[in-house]
Amino acid sequence: MLEGLVSPENLSLSYADMSVPERLKWLQQHQQQEVLSLSSNDSPDLLQILQFHGSNNDELLQSTFSHFQMVGSGFGTNYNMGFGHSHEAMDGCISRTSSCQIHPPDTMGVMLKNSEENRAISLKNKRKSEVKTREEEKTEKKIKVEAETESNISNKEASSDTSKETSKGASQIQKLDYIHVRARRGEATDRHSLAERARREKISKKMKYLQDLVPGCNTVTGKAGVLDEIINYVQSLQRQVEFLSMKLAVINPELELGVEDLSVKQFQAAYFTNFPVVIASKPSVMVDVPLFPLDQQGSLNLSVSNPNQTSIDAPSESWETQSQSLFASVLR
Amino acid sequence: MQPTSSMKEEFLKKWQMGLQIYRPLIDNTSVSERRKAIKLSADVAMASLRRGTTCWSRALIQKTATEDNFLVRQMLSGIKAETLMNKKLPKVMCHRKIVRRSKKILMRRKSKSVSEEIAAKARKLVKRKTQGLRNVVPGGEFMNNDVLLIQETLDYIVSLQTQVNVMRSIVDAAEAGIER
Repeated sequence: MLEGLVSPENLSLSYADMSVPERLKWLQQHQQQEVLSLSSNDSPDLLQILQFHGSNNDELLQSTFSHFQMVGSGFGTNYNMGFGHSHEAMDGCISRTSSCQIHPPDTMGVMLKNSEENRAISLKNKRKSEVKTREEEKTEKKIKVEAETESNISNKEASSDTSKETSKGASQIQKLDYIHVRARRGEATDRHSLAERARREKISKKMKYLQDLVPGCNTVTGKAGVLDEIINYVQSLQRQVEFLSMKLAVINPELELGVEDLSVKQFQAAYFTNFPVVIASKPSVMVDVPLFPLDQQGSLNLSVSNPNQTSIDAPSESWETQSQSLFASVLR
Repeated sequence: MQPTSSMKEEFLKKWQMGLQIYRPLIDNTSVSERRKAIKLSADVAMASLRRGTTCWSRALIQKTATEDNFLVRQMLSGIKAETLMNKKLPKVMCHRKIVRRSKKILMRRKSKSVSEEIAAKARKLVKRKTQGLRNVVPGGEFMNNDVLLIQETLDYIVSLQTQVNVMRSIVDAAEAGIER
């Protein structure tokens, strides 16, 4: 329910629509509005929370800390790490339990909004291309702690209304579907480098697939070598196709692809005679292309030997097993 | 992903269909004609397995269409053939020579450290290899996106593997039949 609010990975880039100064103004307006609206309520504690949440900027933080009153014990332990000068205030308040009287629908909605603001602010930080990753980590922690306390509060209330509202809020936040990339510590956080990094990771993932597919690629390191192997492999496959089609044209004047019954011996003999002829390029390529039996009748279902095990050292054994599988394939 | 037996069966069926189209035309023609027939029908069969979803299959079909329009039209069911052949390949040919020349001029002005030079050379090498890959994969010249290029290569390799496997098994069976 509240998972949508937890991780900053769910930060949508919809805030990108607004420019940075516009967003700041919007946020400040929001904060002021909420502060005003809640001053009417009888919950000074909540006010403090809001002021604290809403302000990610350093100036506001310091001002609120002077009269900050801890509500939940969960806050204190976590925030001690970031804000050392407020130690005394925190320690004094840890004893306080988190059972504050909060009006159900308004506050949850308000808390949601504040979490949105927080995320917006952290997004704004990302956009600013500052390498303040520590700040980011702080904001991440804050959001997590928010979620914890919110969930605590919601559990205690246990009212269906609030849960509905939070789920609505979460679903609204999660509407947009963007590629979410988390900036690691010490890396640039502007949009371009994030997008570049995402693209680079995609490419490296696909190259790994290619490495698995192309035989003999595991030994080579580096993109250039892998690409080289891939090019060679594709070229050799294309050459094989041409060669095989030429051979078939020679053998088969009628262009008839009908397959007849064969005995194993003749088949093996044919295979071995083919072997020196058929090698177009590297022998490793020929050996490693696996020959799967065409399971048409399923009568002779010989297991194909693992092609990765075939090596150039012992070609004869592998050819035997492969020819047996071919025999199975040819039977109809 | 390895070539599956279902893929191979499909390929074989389509290939046979293509060869059947050729059979009345070619009776006592030369070996080269027959080879061409075999290869073209195999290529079209392989490309049609993908049903026009991948870039390389479309490019391959168009290439064979330039050589033998009739075959392609017959092999593919009517609607698909029209759409595939009329669809012109995207003319996104970035003029690489011009780009390269302008980059060279820019690079002359900058002075670099040794590590930067090495990195630049490595990048150049990778770019050269990707260009080589584009030359090999059909339709590669139109894939400016690296991610797309690698995806297409993956698919193309798998299809080539099926093609080679089926052809080789047929050839060996035919040879064994002859030697009997």
